[in-house]
Amino acid sequence: MSSQIIPGPGGTGPGAASPHAPSAANSIRMVRLLGTVSLMCGLLIVVTNLATKDRIQSNQETITRESVAELLPGISKQVTYGVEPSGELKVLTGATGEGKKFFAGYDGSGKLVGVVIEAGERGYADVISALYSYSPATQTIIGFKVVDMRETPGLGDRIKSDIPFLANFKNLDAKVENGKEVHNITTVKHGTKKNAWEIDAISGATISSRAVGRMLHKSVEDVTPVILKNLDRIERGN
Amino acid sequence: MTATTVLAVRTSPHAHSTRSVEKIMANVVFALLPICGYAIWLFGISTLALLLATTAAALGTEQMFCRASGKGSTIGDFSAVITGLLLGLTLPPGLPLWMGALGAFIAVGPGKMVFGGLGFNVFNPALVGRAFLQAAFPVAITTYTSAKAVGRFTEFVPSTLAWPFMKAAPITEWVARTKVDGFTGATPLMLQKFDHVTTEPWSMFLGERAGSAGETAPWLILLCGLYLIIRGMMSWRVPAAMLLSSVVLAQAFHMADAARYPGPLFVLFSGGLMLGAMFMATDPVGQPVTPRGMWIYGILMGTLTVAIRFLGGLAEGVMYAILLGNALSPLIDNLTQPKTYGERRKAVA
Amino acid sequence: MLRDKQPVTITADTHPFLNGLWKQNPVFVMVLGMCPTLAITNSVKNAISMGLATTFVMVASYGMISAIRKLIPKQVRIATFIAIIACGVTVVDFLVKAISIPVYQALGAYIPLIVSNCLTLERAEAYAGKQPVVKSMLDGLGMGLGFALALTCLGMVREVLGAGTFLGFPVFGSRFEPWVLFLLPPGGFISLAMWLLFFAWRKERAAKLAAAEATQ
Repeated sequence: MSSQIIPGPGGTGPGAASPHAPSAANSIRMVRLLGTVSLMCGLLIVVTNLATKDRIQSNQETITRESVAELLPGISKQVTYGVEPSGELKVLTGATGEGKKFFAGYDGSGKLVGVVIEAGERGYADVISALYSYSPATQTIIGFKVVDMRETPGLGDRIKSDIPFLANFKNLDAKVENGKEVHNITTVKHGTKKNAWEIDAISGATISSRAVGRMLHKSVEDVTPVILKNLDRIERGN
Repeated sequence: MTATTVLAVRTSPHAHSTRSVEKIMANVVFALLPICGYAIWLFGISTLALLLATTAAALGTEQMFCRASGKGSTIGDFSAVITGLLLGLTLPPGLPLWMGALGAFIAVGPGKMVFGGLGFNVFNPALVGRAFLQAAFPVAITTYTSAKAVGRFTEFVPSTLAWPFMKAAPITEWVARTKVDGFTGATPLMLQKFDHVTTEPWSMFLGERAGSAGETAPWLILLCGLYLIIRGMMSWRVPAAMLLSSVVLAQAFHMADAARYPGPLFVLFSGGLMLGAMFMATDPVGQPVTPRGMWIYGILMGTLTVAIRFLGGLAEGVMYAILLGNALSPLIDNLTQPKTYGERRKAVA
Repeated sequence: MLRDKQPVTITADTHPFLNGLWKQNPVFVMVLGMCPTLAITNSVKNAISMGLATTFVMVASYGMISAIRKLIPKQVRIATFIAIIACGVTVVDFLVKAISIPVYQALGAYIPLIVSNCLTLERAEAYAGKQPVVKSMLDGLGMGLGFALALTCLGMVREVLGAGTFLGFPVFGSRFEPWVLFLLPPGGFISLAMWLLFFAWRKERAAKLAAAEATQ
C-alpha cells in the first residue's frame, strides 16, 4: 500500500517524494497522518493513565502512611483530616490530594498518640517538604522527617540524616496562645541551643537548618490552633 | 660559500636580559620561603608536613605527566615547587595530608599538564587544586586550628594524620586543649560573617591569628612581594589594582552601612587577599600582558573579592575572584591591544 | 575527535544491537544525550533507572515509527517522530510512578526530558525512519542499553567517590571521607571526561598495536 501513497525508490526514505512545493492533496494527507498519529498516541496515554492510576495513588498513600507510622511509633490506626478554607475539619478517605491536611495516629486502644503535619519551606536549592509529628497533649513537636528536597549533598542534605540535628525534634516547644506561638521556634547557631523552642543548627548547613526552623514556625502557627480547637473530635477519631 | 644570515624575526622587546624562566621561578620560591617559615612557626609541624606533602605531590605529578607524554622532565623549572608551596599556604593548617597531596595532584595534573605544561594553563594551578578541595571536602577545608597552639612543635593536629581517603579525626577537643588565651580557631572572616565579631585590623596585620597556613601575616607577604617587584620580576600593577579597588569598594559599603560591612582595613588584612593579590593574581601565565589590561584585571578581581565576601554566602572570595579573573584575562588582552603605529582611531580623543 | 575517526554510519557487518551497545555507544562514541548523562548520574540507581526508561521509550517508539515509516511524508517526519516519542515518554512517566515513587522523585523532571534527548530523535531520523521494524527495535534496544551502560559507568564513579557507596551499600567502610564534589554537577563533567579519556587511550593503544603488528 505504501508505494501508492509515497512515490519513492523502493521506500528507502520517508517522502523521497517530490522536491516541489506540497500540493493541496499532499497537505491534507499530512494533516490526516499527523491527526491519526496524535489520536493513537492520545489513546495510548489515556489507557496507560487508567491502568496505572490506582496503583500510583496507592503508592503515594503507602509512602505517606509509612512516614506517618515512622514518626508516631506504636500507632495502629490513622485518620487523615483536611482543613477547609473556613477552618472546618473534614475526614479524608485517601491520604493524598491538595490542600492543608494532617494525619492523626491512634494506638491499639484507640487513644490519640499524636498528629503528623505536612510542611514546606524554601531551602537553599529548592522547596524542602517535610512531615513532623506533634503532640497536642504537651504542645510539643516530637519528630521530624524530610520527605523531599534538593539541598546540597554532604552539607544541606544532612537535615535529613544528622542525628544530633534530628534530636532537636524529640521535644521541641511549640506552645500556641491566641494563634501565636508563645516562643517562636528559631534556629540558633550550632552549639548555642539554650531553650526548648530553639533548634541547634548543623554546622556548615546553616541555611538549610534555618529553613527548617522557619518551616516549623509557620506551620505550627498555621495548623496547630485548628487541631487544638477540634481536639475532642480528633481524639474520638471522626 | 654564501654566508647565510639567520634573521630572527620577533616582536618586541628586543633587548634581552639573562633572566630566564627558571631564574624568576627560583626567586619566587625564595620569596615564598619566609612566608612558609612564618606559617610553620605559627602553626607548627602539621603545617611543615602539609607543605612538604603538597610540594612532593606536585613534583611527583609533574614528573609522572612528563614521563607519560614522552617529553623531557620539566620539574627543574621550579613551577611545580611554587604550585605545591602556594597550595599548601592556602590550606587550613590541620588539613589531612592526603587531601593536600590530592589537591596538588589536581593542581598540577588537570590544572596545568593537560593543557600542555607551564605557559599553556588557563588558571593558576594552585587555585585549581584548592577549588577542587573546597568543592570536594567543604567541611575539612573550613576547619581551622588556632594560631600558636601549645605543643605545636611536638605533636600533629589530630586531623593531619588521617589515613588516605578516610575521614579526619575531630579536632575540637585538641583545639580546646592546646589553644592559648585570646586565640580562637575561627578565622576573622568567619567571625565577622557568621558571628558579627570584627577583629581589630592592626592585630590582623601582625599575623597572629587563625586562618589558612600562609595567609595570616600581611606585613610579611607585602615584604616578600616587594622583593619580587623591586627585582623587576613581578608586575606591581596587578596587586596595586586589586588591593586598591577592594579598599575603595569596601569603604563605600562601610559608609553605607557600617554595622553590617567591616571597614577597608579589615578587608585588606583578612583572609587571603594579600597572599592572593601578591602571589596568585600575578601568575605571569594567567594575567593580561598590557598595562591597561593589568589594571582592569586587578580591579575586576578586587571588586569580585569584596562582592563575594559582602554579598555572597561564602566567607572568603579571593580564590573565585582570581579564577574568574584568569578566565577573563585573554578577553581583557584582546580588548586592550595597543593600536599599531600609524593606525587611526575612529573618534578623535 | 572520536567522531571524526568513526563516521556515524551503519555498516552492513555490524549487528544493530551490538552497534548501539558498544561500537557506536551513544555516550562514549557519539557523545549524544549529554543532559541526562550529566544530570542523572549521581547514583547508580538513578543512572540505571534513567537508562532503562530511555531504552523503553526508544524500543517502543522506534517500533511504531518503523511500522509507519512509509506512510510519513518527508515534510512532517520530525513532527511525527516527536509525537510518537512524546507519547512513549508520557507512558513511561506513568509507569515509573506506578512502579516506585522514590525513583520517580529522584528522576523528577528528567523523564519528560527524554523527549528532548537528542539521542532519541537522532536514531529515529538516522535509523528507524528507514529500516524495517525488527531491526529498528533492535537498534533502539542496543542504543538504549548502551546509553544505560554509559550512565551506569558514570554513576558508579560518582556514587563510589561521592558517597562511598555502590547501589547504597558502603564500599570503603564508615570512615571513608566522601568527595562531595562528585555528587554535584561538576562531578558529572569530571567523570565523563575521565571515561572519555580512558576510551580514547584504549583506542589509541589498540591502533598502535595493530600498526606494530602490520609492520612485522
